[in-house]
Amino acid sequence: MIVTTSKPLDEVLDYISPYSNIFIVGCDGCTQPPRGLREAKILSQLLELGGKLRNKNFNFKVTTVAKQCDSYLTASALKPQIDGVEAVLSLACGIGVQTLAELFPELSVFPAQNTHFMGAEEREKGILEERCAGCGDCLLALTGGICPIARCAKGLLNGPCGGSANGKCEVDPERDCAWSLIIERLKARGKLELLEEIRPPIDYQLKGWRFTP
Amino acid sequence: MNEQLTEERAAVEINEDYCSSCSICSTLCPFEAIKRDTETGKTFLEIEKCQVCGICYSDCPAKAINIIYYDMDSLTKYLVRAKQEYECDELVIMCKGSAPDFAGIEKLFGVTKFIPLSIPCVGRISEEVFLKAIVMGIKRIYVLACDEDYCRFDRGSQITKRKILALNLLLDQLGYGTEVITLKRNSLKVKVDKDLCIACGNCVFYCPYDAAKLDSPGAVSFDLSACKGCGLCVAMCPALALDLENWEEESISTLISKLLSEMKPPKILVFRCQWAVFPPLDEEFNQNVRFIDLPCASRVDTFHILEAFQKGVDGILIASCSEEDCKQEGASKNAQHSVTILGERLKQIGLQDRLHFCTVAPRYSGSFDRELEQFSKKMEAIYLEGGKE
Repeated sequence: MIVTTSKPLDEVLDYISPYSNIFIVGCDGCTQPPRGLREAKILSQLLELGGKLRNKNFNFKVTTVAKQCDSYLTASALKPQIDGVEAVLSLACGIGVQTLAELFPELSVFPAQNTHFMGAEEREKGILEERCAGCGDCLLALTGGICPIARCAKGLLNGPCGGSANGKCEVDPERDCAWSLIIERLKARGKLELLEEIRPPIDYQLKGWRFTP
Repeated sequence: MNEQLTEERAAVEINEDYCSSCSICSTLCPFEAIKRDTETGKTFLEIEKCQVCGICYSDCPAKAINIIYYDMDSLTKYLVRAKQEYECDELVIMCKGSAPDFAGIEKLFGVTKFIPLSIPCVGRISEEVFLKAIVMGIKRIYVLACDEDYCRFDRGSQITKRKILALNLLLDQLGYGTEVITLKRNSLKVKVDKDLCIACGNCVFYCPYDAAKLDSPGAVSFDLSACKGCGLCVAMCPALALDLENWEEESISTLISKLLSEMKPPKILVFRCQWAVFPPLDEEFNQNVRFIDLPCASRVDTFHILEAFQKGVDGILIASCSEEDCKQEGASKNAQHSVTILGERLKQIGLQDRLHFCTVAPRYSGSFDRELEQFSKKMEAIYLEGGKE
């Protein structure tokens, strides 16, 4: 899922202050933590309270769509509700914001989130961590299901580097060394020989920028 | 335990002068808080384990147990007062843990006009109270208890059943018939709006009782026999698709508006967990403070808090059980987490210090009052400061 964090409310208030009729659009898709109807409603309440302190009254309309990145779904859900709206505040990832901006070129469309990475949530600990960098040339089969591009701070393909100590990364002592994890995993599977092959750099042309499904 | 706590008055005490060491209380106590010293033969109470259910109080044959909440005296006074106030002869005694709002009571018992008596556990109501009520002229008594396997005081619901059976037999012999007292069981349950559900699985993760299932694509379904009505999933649902039957979001919103209209600034609204604070039956209201009793602190909803701020409340206090005392698994922890996150966001718009989460327990009578007093002082100061600008 795509991991986002909420923008500081001051920043959002700065964006929307020139406008009065604001449409807040949540996304029920893959944004994590969830940015659906509840988050949209809460954001409208917080912005109303924040607006009052700036002597600014807003009219908020709140809704959510199944996936903001789906232009068809989003258009059919939002077009009937767009009359009178001056600005749109999107709770989706950066992709959703761009879809909305394209759908409503005449309106101001603002992001309410910062988009970070494709990650997974460790529910018990309440932690979201990057897991995939979308490189276009998946090598998880060779690394015991642990992605060194997303999880090694240096994106090394032939790790670990000299900065790995006690299973942690030199960049951040809280961060697991991805290569240390890979070695442990391969050891457990009895596949350590996979490490003997030197891997050439990733071919980033494979990442691509457009596909026809 | 620090000194401040030990100095406080415990809500339950054993009066050694009256105690005959019969051990009924230690046998009945669901929390093993009452024990008998094998050497001295004396019965003693470990207050830290006590959850103040009151079962020992009402069943002590020697009247050797003192309790602060809902003792014989305050229950009798309440009944006398309430009988005049409500002008009717039907009484509904309900467990707070399972009681729906008043409209829900109507649906359950078919009574529209009744004297409500809402207490933490109906198992604590002694036979004497029932008989006194009947002597006072009350014709029918409806008892609403939690389902036996949900009873948060473990044995309260069971004890109620036996008590009522015996009481009805007794009343029949006295010529009152067999149906003076009716027992019903109820538990709050979640309901899903399938049109709003986005099948995200949040409730499946948060439900402490594995009641939420996401087996088939589409929408979540709940095993209602496992649901204990804590409301945690409702407060965590990102799609606003869940609600508690007879404890709906809307009714809390309506209550917020009503309470705020009665108050004078600085207005303080308290959301309190029914297990953390036992309000006295003759609770007096200060014009600055109003209370909303929730089935569990985990039902405190971020948007109810914000709604109250939007409607002009100055401060919100949330009184919850501590993690150790929490009657619902992990509910207190989750409630605190949500409130902390919201507090951070309120800070960003200049509403810092307006929201406070505290953990209290009824075992010390003053713990909640002290929290409220401190918070009130803070709100008063903020309010006066704001007035000068």
